[in-house]
Amino acid sequence: MRNVGIVGVGYCPRFVSKRTDVCIPEMVSEAVEAAFADCGLGPEDIDAVIFGNMHPFEGVNMPHLWAVEHMRALGKPVMRIATGGTTGMTAFHAAYYHIVSGLHDVVMVVTFEKHSEGDAQVGLLGIITPEAMAMMMAGIDLTGAGGMGAQGGGSAGAITYQAVSWMHKSGATIDHIDAIAAMERRNAARNPYAHLKDPEATPEKIAKTPMISYPVRFGHVCPTTDGATVCILASEERAAKIADKVAWVWGVASCASDPTTGNLIEGLITDPAEQRQCVIAAQEAYKRAGIEDPKKEIDYVEIYNGFAHQTLMYLELVGMCEVGEAHKLLEKGELEISGRLPVNASGGVVSTNAIGTSALNRVTECALQIMGKAGERQVEKEVHKALAHGWGGLMQYVSITILADKPKKL
Amino acid sequence: MEETRIVHGYWELSTFNFNIEARGINLMLEGFKEKKLKGIKCHQCGMVYLPGPFYCRKCHVNIDEPVEISDHGTVRTYTVQYADIRGEPMPEPRVSAMVQFDGCDSWVMGVVQCDPKDIHVGMRVKIKWKEQTVGNMQDMEAFVPE
Ligand SMILES: [Zn+2]
Repeated sequence: MRNVGIVGVGYCPRFVSKRTDVCIPEMVSEAVEAAFADCGLGPEDIDAVIFGNMHPFEGVNMPHLWAVEHMRALGKPVMRIATGGTTGMTAFHAAYYHIVSGLHDVVMVVTFEKHSEGDAQVGLLGIITPEAMAMMMAGIDLTGAGGMGAQGGGSAGAITYQAVSWMHKSGATIDHIDAIAAMERRNAARNPYAHLKDPEATPEKIAKTPMISYPVRFGHVCPTTDGATVCILASEERAAKIADKVAWVWGVASCASDPTTGNLIEGLITDPAEQRQCVIAAQEAYKRAGIEDPKKEIDYVEIYNGFAHQTLMYLELVGMCEVGEAHKLLEKGELEISGRLPVNASGGVVSTNAIGTSALNRVTECALQIMGKAGERQVEKEVHKALAHGWGGLMQYVSITILADKPKKL
Repeated sequence: MEETRIVHGYWELSTFNFNIEARGINLMLEGFKEKKLKGIKCHQCGMVYLPGPFYCRKCHVNIDEPVEISDHGTVRTYTVQYADIRGEPMPEPRVSAMVQFDGCDSWVMGVVQCDPKDIHVGMRVKIKWKEQTVGNMQDMEAFVPE
């Protein structure tokens, strides 16, 4: 084993609904150039490239080949990753494995999504093919009253069952979901790379948005965003020469559950809020990072929250607080940028969702907080260790990355 | 700013043909004809699945013990749907739930015929069967309060 650190981060200039001024490879190129500018490296310094996006969203089967020159990968090994929402973090983990193995020293992660060129609903339906298969094998009618038609609102549909179950267990109410959504929209307003920003967002304002499927309102749901993110990782030896500020990787872990809406680690369709795979991945990441008490040791958290309630639910599941405690931390203002446990200072996925980038952005936002380079969204407390969470697959895959401001003692 | 040119494309998705294991569905649908829920029990861990897989996902062993399950159960989670899959308003709000039937470990999704104000976690429901059941999914008309 050897230490691996993040030395450079690059975003395309803006994350918005429609980038009609650039095509996919051009948007990728913008983020690559930004990452090179951030760390002073060039194409000749990169040993290998990991590429991540979810092809059903644009209907482009091999965008990494289309974009190979634009991501400066000619003559280099290129590996493509697609794990749903977690794509960006799985790509990051792949880059980490490339370096920690000793096979490569400097590896670049390139991720994008350009939702405006495709159809997000069709993309989501493509992704849920294995879930649809599992549901049919379980005899669940996909189109009639008993099936996904009953879940309502596409991806928001399955999540509603999760939100109600979580509220029942935690004692939180829909008011808390309105409040966390408002906090993230306000945070997004400080982030130049966020999509939905509202410096004046209040729970009351969110509560006025239309109800899609109880308890999920329009104001609780992520947008579809065009955007690209690049992250450059290096071995300890090389990182020291490249950058003054490095965010070091202390622990990575992922865990899959069964391909259905429910929690199937136990082998059957049950509680979609249980998300055992998140608990397992977090525990494994803490073990690898040598973290005994995450509540005391982790200073900052980025949660993958396609839907607003997930910020609170996953804070509990990764062990940053007890079940039933997250909404109380929110009430006390502890999750704010100025708070004791700041979460999603970036505005989270609920404010910006270019899917291929979304789980990587959780990692890069933690890295920027550790490096002190988060600008207006820099949290008030010092960040020594941070946790990035990615949620994806269908609903059943979770990835965790733990970063720190110092190399790990090996 | 000069815009890129747009080229239209589409995927013909209707030509994929996937094989699935259907024994569990067939057992359940056979049961529907007699207005009964038939699942599969694992002889090793005792887990009762509805509809039954013929492989216990927990124990990784083949299972084949049919078991009859009550058509009364408990709402474990629910939603009230106001918009359809494209975000258009529904003519009427639709209540649906994940229900755990008595003696079964799986949760089953379906529409609940009740006032949206009444639905809650823990609510007792039963299956409202069609008068004439023929062995398809439509036999199970809805879940209704007990
Ligand atoms: Zn078993």
